[in-house]
Amino acid sequence: MSDKAMSARDVILGRLRAVKSKSPAEEAYPLPPIVMLGDQDASPERFESNLALMGGQMIHRQDGETVEAAIARAFPKRRNLCTAVPEVKGTLRIEDLTTHQEADTVDVMVVRAAFGVAEMGGIFLSEVELKDHLADVHLAQHLVVLLAKDELVGNMHNAYRERSEFRTAGYGVLMSGPSATADIEGVLIRGAQGVRSLSVVWA
Amino acid sequence: MREKPVPHASLAAEFLRDDLHRIFHDERLWGMRQKRDEQMHELPEWQELRQQASRLKEHTLAHLPHYLEQFEQNAKKNGIHVHWARDGAEHNRIVEGILKAHGHSSIIKSKSMITDECEMREYLEPKGITVTETDLGERIQQLDNQLPSHVVVPAVQKLTKDVAKVFAKHYHTDPAIDDPHALAEAQRNAARPVLLSGDTGMTGGNFLVAETGSFVVCTNEGNADLSANLPNLHIATLGIERLVPRMEDLGVFIRLLSRSALGSPITQYTTHFRKPKKGGEMHVILVDNGRSERLGMEDFWSSLKCIRCGACMNTCPVYRRSGGQSYGAVYSGPIGAIIDPTFNAKKFSTLPFASTMNGSCTNVCPVKIDIHDQLYKWRRILAERHEIPFVKKEIMKMAGRLLSQPKLYRLSISGTEVALKTMPRFVLYNYLNPWGKHRELPHPVKETFHSWYKKNRLKKETTAQEGTSS
Repeated sequence: MSDKAMSARDVILGRLRAVKSKSPAEEAYPLPPIVMLGDQDASPERFESNLALMGGQMIHRQDGETVEAAIARAFPKRRNLCTAVPEVKGTLRIEDLTTHQEADTVDVMVVRAAFGVAEMGGIFLSEVELKDHLADVHLAQHLVVLLAKDELVGNMHNAYRERSEFRTAGYGVLMSGPSATADIEGVLIRGAQGVRSLSVVWA
Repeated sequence: MREKPVPHASLAAEFLRDDLHRIFHDERLWGMRQKRDEQMHELPEWQELRQQASRLKEHTLAHLPHYLEQFEQNAKKNGIHVHWARDGAEHNRIVEGILKAHGHSSIIKSKSMITDECEMREYLEPKGITVTETDLGERIQQLDNQLPSHVVVPAVQKLTKDVAKVFAKHYHTDPAIDDPHALAEAQRNAARPVLLSGDTGMTGGNFLVAETGSFVVCTNEGNADLSANLPNLHIATLGIERLVPRMEDLGVFIRLLSRSALGSPITQYTTHFRKPKKGGEMHVILVDNGRSERLGMEDFWSSLKCIRCGACMNTCPVYRRSGGQSYGAVYSGPIGAIIDPTFNAKKFSTLPFASTMNGSCTNVCPVKIDIHDQLYKWRRILAERHEIPFVKKEIMKMAGRLLSQPKLYRLSISGTEVALKTMPRFVLYNYLNPWGKHRELPHPVKETFHSWYKKNRLKKETTAQEGTSS
């Protein structure tokens, strides 16, 4: 099969080089410089309002309340709580999940995001934060994300320029709110096939 | 076998027969267009973003072999297997080969237009490989045995009751369900066990990044991240035109994509894959399937800039009022009408005529493809290649002759006025006049502009001139 794949490769690259005479000329289309456009405000307020727009929510800590207590207050009916962070004890740790079937029973999953993007209310997770449990985070019913205010970037230009994770992570997902669909009659449904809700705690 | 052109007009007429579908479809897509406009107005830099996106794509396409090699080199360095497919058939054989090598027989798949373009399900299923679409809209279309109606919302032509019927048949839910929430929940419940037991995951992809060897998948439902990460085998299929040179270039495209598509600032999930997960295996298949040929077409190569947002479909009055199914193609709407003929000029010869030439598609395109100009150019080529029907051709010829000769034109206009007034309906409204099918011909005017001008202005001007000269 590899011989065949090799030849397909050469055929395609050959075809592309052969159409050169008629196709866009290289020198007519130089590489444009990188742009940084638009609002680059990286404030927590901007993040919060865009998170709400994308269907996510904030869990605000009351005076002196621990992260753990705030999450417990937000999910009083939780059946279990799986955690990937030292701040929260929970009922089980993400490292202890041995099968996806087990992860499928997780009610609330708590993780820490590497950073957030104010423009999109988005949070970034990679195999580092997820302890290599890439699918398990998406199998949980609800996701709670710990995020530090000083790990915010303004917009997507800032994100790709300033965050090294895009070049180091094997898997990096920027989640803006919970899973959603509008595939049936355009009715927006929050909680499609991934997490049903996404909450952020400043921590 | 001579392939017949897709009868777009008659298929559209069929779709329009039901008022509920007709009105919903038109309003839903226009609603997406309006939400796109709201997002655009929030960003003062919108036109700069479009300009940059267009330039980046043009540059990449002009240097495509270079960036493809760079991508391949970096992806391989990260442990990704890179395959090349000249056409859909080769792509499908590659997928089959990967599954066979692992002894796998089922694929859990997130939405991708290109696997539909390759007709992958049609190839794999008779070979005993189950392909389960996990995106809600794509799954509805798969169960109903239809092509996607739209590149972003595949089942947009269906109403809740239609989906309830499809799900009742396949998921054994209540056919009377009238609530999209309940139906979405039924999909979640049906998909979960399939996702958990799938042995191969497949995704498409929106962008390839040459400099890092990564690819990016933009989705909303969470099914793509589950499909890619649950099994230990992930295959991603992307067209060779999907490249961007640098990681930073993604900023421009991610900011434009979902705003143009759904009018939301970003998709819920923007997922970057750079290497296989721990203990996993990752394959990327780069598909040509006519793209290299299109790159050599002077008038049409820029259609390869497309990022599949569907904005041109949402704004198109013809698409909104004819439905995606009437295009008989994987890609419908204005973008479909300019790329489908590159796959099959005869079969899709009717599609470039599914436009009023209003240019709105071009105006909303985030990467500035001159869609309506290309529609016009396709019409010319198809006419030259005799791919347009006799009646349309003859009428165009007559119109051409008429419009190029003022005297003949004027004579025929006064004739038309008499005809509109005196001819019986069956002479005016018949198969030679498809325009009159759903419309009334204009009321005959009492006087043409030309005769009015001659009577009034011309006389006065002549008198005035005479006055000054005397």
